[in-house]
Formats: sequence, C-alpha cells, structure tokens
Amino acid sequence: MKPILLQGHERSITQIRYNREGDLLFTVAKDTVANVWYSVNGERLGTYNGHTGAVWCVDCDWDTKNVLTGSADNSCRLWDCETGKQLAMLNTSSAVRTCGFDFSGNIIMFSTDKQMGYQCFLNYFDLRDPQQIEDNQPYLTVPCSESKITSAVWGPLGEFVIAGHENGEINQFSAKTGEVLKKVKEHSKQINDIQSSVDLTMVITASKDCSSKLFDSTTLDHIKTFKTERPVNSAAISPIMDHVVMGGGQEAMEVTTTSTRIGKFEARFFHAAYEEEFGRVKGHFGPINCVAFHPDGKSYSSGGEDGYTRIHYFDPQYFDFELEA
Amino acid sequence: MHDTDDMPPDVDYDEDEPSFSDPEDFVDDIEDEELLGDLLREKPQEADGIDSVIVVDNVPQVGPERLEKLKNVIHKIFSKFGKITNEFYPEGPDGSTKGYIFLEYGAPSQALEAVKNADGYKLDKQHTFRVNVFTDFDKYMNISDEWETPEKQPFKDFGNMRHWMEDSDCRDQYSVIYESGERTAIFNNDPKEPIVAEERARWTETYVRWSPKGTYLATFHQRGIALWGGEKFKQIQRFSHQGVSLIDFSPCERYVVTFSPLMDTKEDPQAIIIWDILTGQKKRGFHCESSAHWPIFKWSHDGKFFARMTQDTLSIYETPSMGLLDKKSLKISSIKDFSWSPGDNILAFWVPEDKDIPARVTLMQLPSRQEIRVRNLFNVVDCKLHWQRQGDYLCVKVDRTPKGTLGVVTNFEIFRMREKQVPVDVVEMKGDPESKNAESIIAFAWEPNGNKFAVLHGESPRINASFYHVKSNGKIELIKMFDKQQANSIFWSPQGQFMVLAGLRSMNGALAFVDTSDCTMMNIAEHYMASDVEWDPTGRYLVTSVSWWSHKVDNAYWLWTFQGRLLQKNNKDRFCQLLWRPRPPTLLSQEAIKTIKKDLKKYSKIFEQKDRLSQSKASKELVDKRRSMMEEYRQYREAVLHQYQDQKAARLELRGGVDTDELDSNTDDWEEETIEFFINEEIIPLGE
Repeated sequence: MKPILLQGHERSITQIRYNREGDLLFTVAKDTVANVWYSVNGERLGTYNGHTGAVWCVDCDWDTKNVLTGSADNSCRLWDCETGKQLAMLNTSSAVRTCGFDFSGNIIMFSTDKQMGYQCFLNYFDLRDPQQIEDNQPYLTVPCSESKITSAVWGPLGEFVIAGHENGEINQFSAKTGEVLKKVKEHSKQINDIQSSVDLTMVITASKDCSSKLFDSTTLDHIKTFKTERPVNSAAISPIMDHVVMGGGQEAMEVTTTSTRIGKFEARFFHAAYEEEFGRVKGHFGPINCVAFHPDGKSYSSGGEDGYTRIHYFDPQYFDFELEA
Repeated sequence: MHDTDDMPPDVDYDEDEPSFSDPEDFVDDIEDEELLGDLLREKPQEADGIDSVIVVDNVPQVGPERLEKLKNVIHKIFSKFGKITNEFYPEGPDGSTKGYIFLEYGAPSQALEAVKNADGYKLDKQHTFRVNVFTDFDKYMNISDEWETPEKQPFKDFGNMRHWMEDSDCRDQYSVIYESGERTAIFNNDPKEPIVAEERARWTETYVRWSPKGTYLATFHQRGIALWGGEKFKQIQRFSHQGVSLIDFSPCERYVVTFSPLMDTKEDPQAIIIWDILTGQKKRGFHCESSAHWPIFKWSHDGKFFARMTQDTLSIYETPSMGLLDKKSLKISSIKDFSWSPGDNILAFWVPEDKDIPARVTLMQLPSRQEIRVRNLFNVVDCKLHWQRQGDYLCVKVDRTPKGTLGVVTNFEIFRMREKQVPVDVVEMKGDPESKNAESIIAFAWEPNGNKFAVLHGESPRINASFYHVKSNGKIELIKMFDKQQANSIFWSPQGQFMVLAGLRSMNGALAFVDTSDCTMMNIAEHYMASDVEWDPTGRYLVTSVSWWSHKVDNAYWLWTFQGRLLQKNNKDRFCQLLWRPRPPTLLSQEAIKTIKKDLKKYSKIFEQKDRLSQSKASKELVDKRRSMMEEYRQYREAVLHQYQDQKAARLELRGGVDTDELDSNTDDWEEETIEFFINEEIIPLGE
C-alpha cells in the first residue's frame, strides 16, 4: 500500500513513538517542534512548542496524558498531551539524549550528554512529588563517567532502566538505588537505539557495528543477532509476528562519494527466530533514523534523515508469508 | 677562561653507587641468545686495532741510506686513503729492508680502502704491490685443512603439499584478507557458500601471495617472509629479510626473490635477495637502485634464467649458480624494456630511435644469445611487449608519430613465434573518423591459450571492444566490435574463449560477460564500485570485489559463474584482497584430455546427479536449521510469557487497576471518534 508521508519537520527526524493504543504518533526532529499525528490518516493533531534546540527524544505515558521531550537546548519538558501546554521544564547542564515514562507513568527518567565539561547523568524524577520538579531536584541521579548513554528504555514494572552506551555496553540501572544490576557487552560500537517488545519482556538494540540484537529485558541474556552491512540506527519488534524491522545507513559525514546509491539503507525485515532477512522497504532518501511498529502490528513507521516520516500499512500478503520450515 | 670556573664542584664519587652486580641468589633465566641474538650471530670480537693494519708486499729492498726516500714514496701513495698512524719497516741482519712493510691507519675502513685501491699498484717494472689486511692472514690461517662433510639435515615431512588438489568435489581454494588486514582466511570455493579451510588472526602484516603453482602461501612480516603449505598450512620456510615489501617467485617454484628498501650496504648487497625455497638458503644478494618496476628480475618460463635491465645493459643470470650467464652482461645501449617468452627461452627487448638508427625490437634465443628476429620501426614514441601465455605470439604495441600527422598512431605488430623466421603482421588501429587524433588504446589482452586478442579503444563514453583472430596464414581478422562499452579492463578466462570486460573503479563496476566463440554477450551485470576481478584457475568461476584498500564502504566479494550468473554475495568487514590459489599444470597428456572431452556426456550425467543431490541436501539442512532455531525461540518465549502472566497483579497495581495487557482489554473506556480521510478532490461545475 502507498505509504502516508508526514511532512512536519524541517530537519532530520530523531525519534518517533506511538502511544499505547497506537492512534497517535509522536515525532521529534533536529528542529525545535514536537509533532503529534493521527496514525490512521496522517493528519497532524498538533505541536508542542517551546524547545529552542534539536529535540533528541520523546515519550508518552500509558494513558496518553503526558508527553515528555528532551532537547539539545539543555532541557527536558513535560507537556499535557491534549492541550499542548508545557507542564514542567527541567533544566540540565548538557543536552538531553534519552527520556521515558516508567510503566506506571509516575516516574520519568532522562539522560544527559557528556558535553561541555559535564559528564553523562541518568536522572529519575517522581512526578507525584511536585517539589522535585519545582526544585529541579531528581530523587536519584546516576553519573556515567565511563561511556555516555546513547539510548535508554524502561524495563518491565519500572524497576530499572536499560541503557545502551557509546562503547556498545548495555547496563541495567536500578530506579531505586541507581546501582548497575546487570551489564553486558555484545556490541562493539555505539548503541543507537533500544526498543522493547510490546510486553516489555524483550528489548532490541540497534548498533553502529552493523547489527541488531535481541535481549531478554530482565536477564539481559543475548537471544538473537541480525546482521547487515550498514550501521543500524533503529530497530523494533513486531507485536504480533516473529518479525523485527531495522533502519539505518551510513552516516552522512562518512559517505564520501556523491552517488546516491552509496550509504542508503532500506527498512529491512528479519525473522526473529531464523535471523534471516525476508523483505525490504525502500522510500527514504538517505539513512533511516528511527522505526516503530504500530501496537496492533498492522503498520509501521519510519523517520529519516530526509526529514520525512512515513507510515506504511502492510499488504495482506505480509501476514500470510511464511519461510519454509 | 670561564669554562673551568663554571665546572661543578668535585662530586663525591664515593657516594652510594648502586651495585650493578647480581644478587647472590640471582638466577639468570635469559640466555644471551635471546637477549642479543642478532648481535651474537655476527660473532663480534673485541677490537684490538689490528684490523686497521695492512701488509704491503713487493716493496723495494733498500739499505738504511735510502730508507728515508722509500718512506717518502710509500707515504705519498698510501696516505691517500687515510692518515697513517704507524708504520714498520722490518730490517734484515744486513740493515736493509725485507721487502714487506706494515702500515696502520686510523680506521679499518681506510685500511680496506687501501687494499681495494693499492693492491696491484705498479711502482716500477720489478715492483708491483700486493696489499692485504693484516687480519686476513689470521682468517685464512684458521681454516682447517681437512674438509668437513656438512651434517645431513633431517628430512622434514610437511605431508602432502598438494592436498587441496585431492578435494573430492574439485573445489578450488582462495585466500581472503579482511578486517583491514587483521584476519586472513583460506576458503574452499563452493557454489553454495564458501567453506573455511583455515582462518588466522594477523597471519600477515601486509598482504599475501600464492606461489605460481599454488604450493606455498607467502605472508609478509617486518622481519621477512614466511611460506605456508600442506594440509594444515604449517610453516614450511622462513626468509629473514628486514623490512621486506615485495616478492616474486620463480615460475618453477624453486626460488623466491625478495626486496627490502632497508638494509642495503655497500659491501654486502641485501636490497634484493634470491632464496632457495627448498633449503631456505640465501643464494645471492643484489643492490637495487630503484624499485619502481617490480619485478626487477624477470624469470624465464622454466626458471633456468633470470634477467634484469640497468642503464644500457641487460644482465642475464643462470640458476642454480646465480652467476652471470657466460660471465658477462649484454651491452644494449638505451634498452627500454625486455620480457621473456612464457613458452621458450626467448627474450624480447626494444631500443628507441637514436638519430638515424631506427628503433628496434629484438628477439634473442638463450643461452646462445642468437638474435632470431629484429624488427626496425620508425618514429616510435613507445613500445609495449605483450606475450601470449604459451609463447605462440608476441604482440608489440607501437605508438608512433608518423611524419605529416598530428598526434599518436598505434599499431600492433604481431610476431608469429612458431613459424620459420618469425613473420610479423601489422594491425593498424584506425582512429575515429570524426576526430583528428588517433584512438587511444585502453587495454590489450591475448586469449591465454588461443589465437585471439581483445582491445579496448576509444575515449569514454565511446569505448569500443574489438576482437581479433590471428589466422594460421598470418591474416589478422577483426571478428567483432562492440561499441559504447563501459569498460577499462579485459579479463580472459584462463581457459580462453570466455572473457569479462569490466569497468572498474571510476566506471562503477560494470561487467560484460562475453563468449568469443560466437562473440555474444552472455550477460551484462554490475558490481557497484568493484575494484578487482579474479578468475578461478579453472575458468569456471569469477570473483569481483570491492576492496577496502580502494573503497571504504560495501566491501565484499561476489562469486559469478563464467556465464555471468551471480552465485554469492559475500560481505566481509573491511575486506581487502582475494586471491585464487593457482593450480599446478595438468598431468594429463593431450590425448587423455581429448578423450575426456569426447566422453563429456558420460561425465556430465554423473556431475548433474551429484549437483541435484547436494541441492536437495542443502535445502533439507536449511529447513532443519530453521526448525531447531524456531523450537528454541518458541521455548524461550513460552518461559517468558509464563513469567509475564505471573506479574499480572503487579502490572494492574501500577496502572491503577486498568488492564492494559491487550490493546482492547478495556473497551469500556473507549470513546468513539469519527475520522475523515481525504481521498481526492474533484470540482464539478453545477449545471444550470
């Protein structure tokens, strides 16, 4: 089916997120505005205005009340989803790279970049305590001096955050004590993205080392590997099929030739159990920066370096397709 | 005098000087050999200054009254080489000198210089000096009079050196360097997927080379070359040559020539070393002025001779003595290039025009040095020598500037080597009629075992590929010309007939597979940004590759059939180089090959059956593998989902009792919403 093209950003897309029901799609980009769209027809519902730098990350809580964004303007902001009103602004010393609501929607986390002499911090706020927001004082802050956090997602039941680092490590940071519960290093290069499965039991990583890996959220056991020949920027797990989708491509600065044929990367579909590629979707001009499955598994979206977001609905054959086994 | 005043006050040297002697219980676990083995090998000895002393014989015997005069003469001659620090004129009982003298210089190098230059110096008719270094006497005295038989070296068995030829499926091997040189692997080529035969980290420091018959794999290291072979790729030989950067095997695989830009010294030539592969011994070293054109030494096809060209000379050496053939080089003034026939001991070389003497291409038989053919050429700018692989033909590509025309014209002079007096025919490359300039030649290649050749000519994007056929009567016929080709290189199959025209690097990796028996394009394909093309030694497969050395992304090698059907895409991280392992020449006689070709149908049936079997086996293996992976994954998911169910209560609690496990698990809360889809727009003018 013809994809729906969302044209709402002037710069490359940095992250896209569906809400839990999947009726809304949030997109953020290197421009300053966060957009929200109806996923069914691609109509723009509204914007969240206020940031003054590139927006790196976005998340929405489970009952679609609040939206959280983190930006290179050294702030993490909380918005009312429906009205677009800014509810809170948490100032930081460096850019906010990742953010997220926990399972209950009461606790938020965000991580900051190692930048301008500041090191990387992982901060936890409890939204039930207005004092924390007012004083901009997280109840827990974890310094990560070794290698900065480049991607992070909450684990199941809000017990810990699973963070991917610049050096390829994955750590579980407890939301209570901040200590590292588990640590694995299966990737050799930066982890660009971590996303969890719909039931939060598994996470998939996307790494610059040209591969994606599936891990158990709790034990961080490595389960599967999906290999390509390009750096992977984002990966997502299908909620209904044993499939994963990956998006990536050569970094713009690393593509030396003027040819458009080099460095491109189509969205690639792999079978989660067989680790085999079975399909590709073309479309973006340049690398894909983020991918996400609709929670009903019947469509997926991708955001590209070209500044567009595309919503793809699967053809019926997609659901019938089986690899011989 | 300030200096002395500024001297520091006397240091008390009695102050605790650390003891350098070993403690009593010290056990020296490092042997001298390990610590300074490289020095010990040179057997250094304490210098006592006697190596600066020379002995001069045949000096006139004079009485005391003329001694002063003699000393003056001697001084005059010998102080040219350095300052004489000491001298001794032994005298007989009658007071006259004994006819030999000793002179000492300030340095051994001056003594050596004196020996080199003054030995044989004619003082007058009766007296010719004999000059020797004093230490030489010692050296030659110490040589034992009895000849000791060298100890017999035990035979080292490396197993079957041609093990790979015994592969039941006749698979060829190739070496692959990847991870920017960190890893090297040997694969058995299989149409399904490559099978690893050996893989090692840091096997070589730069690249690898196969020997011409495929017996050895040479790896490069800072300290020299190592050769590997046999079933398990054990180390077979080592050649220590510091900083080695280039090597070349003799075609017979008996010798290897190594080149290092370091190490060369005046007395001991070490820039180029020729080694005996079987014994590992250094056979001879050579100086090297410039390494611009490797190989510097070119081998004759059987490894009997090797030759090198220097200014106005062509030096031919013979094996195994490594000495100059007939003890002298050939004087060929202003020789530009030479090349051995790959089939016979015949050398071709050319010299450019010199005033009124025309340029010449000469064919010379060896070791007789008989000139079997000389061809004079006029207005020559440049010549290139191209031998057909069996030595049946020689093509000399001649660039000329004929009088009265502008620009360069190219001719191909074809020498038919197998016929009496070596007749020569000329193919003229006619230029593009539209442009004044003659066409430029991009590439030329002989069919390896036939009588055809291919030429790429023209200017991009109007590049033509022409195929010529040399008939037995000497006529050269253009069989076919393809115009507007995207190609800059020609790769013939080692078996002939088939070839690939490739547009490498700047031409984006365009590939055209041609069958020259009827000159059809079998397939046109592309390996984007391909930098290399390699035929397997049997001519069944072809590999195209994008090397990390020339291009930093999409490094991979692709395997094709000779017809141009793509079989595999092998992506390897920072892939650098692929080299097929050459095969030794066949042991079958011509008749035996003929019979096999006649009975091909009989064999092909067996092979087809084998292919079908392996295919069905492969798909079964794949299905089995998938099944087991699926089973494993399913078990994991079951266990996890079980745990997930157990946590349901915790989840409900966290979300205030709302069940969100399924998308539609709380439909009661749902609100209905109407959404409009913009399908299309149509303006319909309303009629009256």
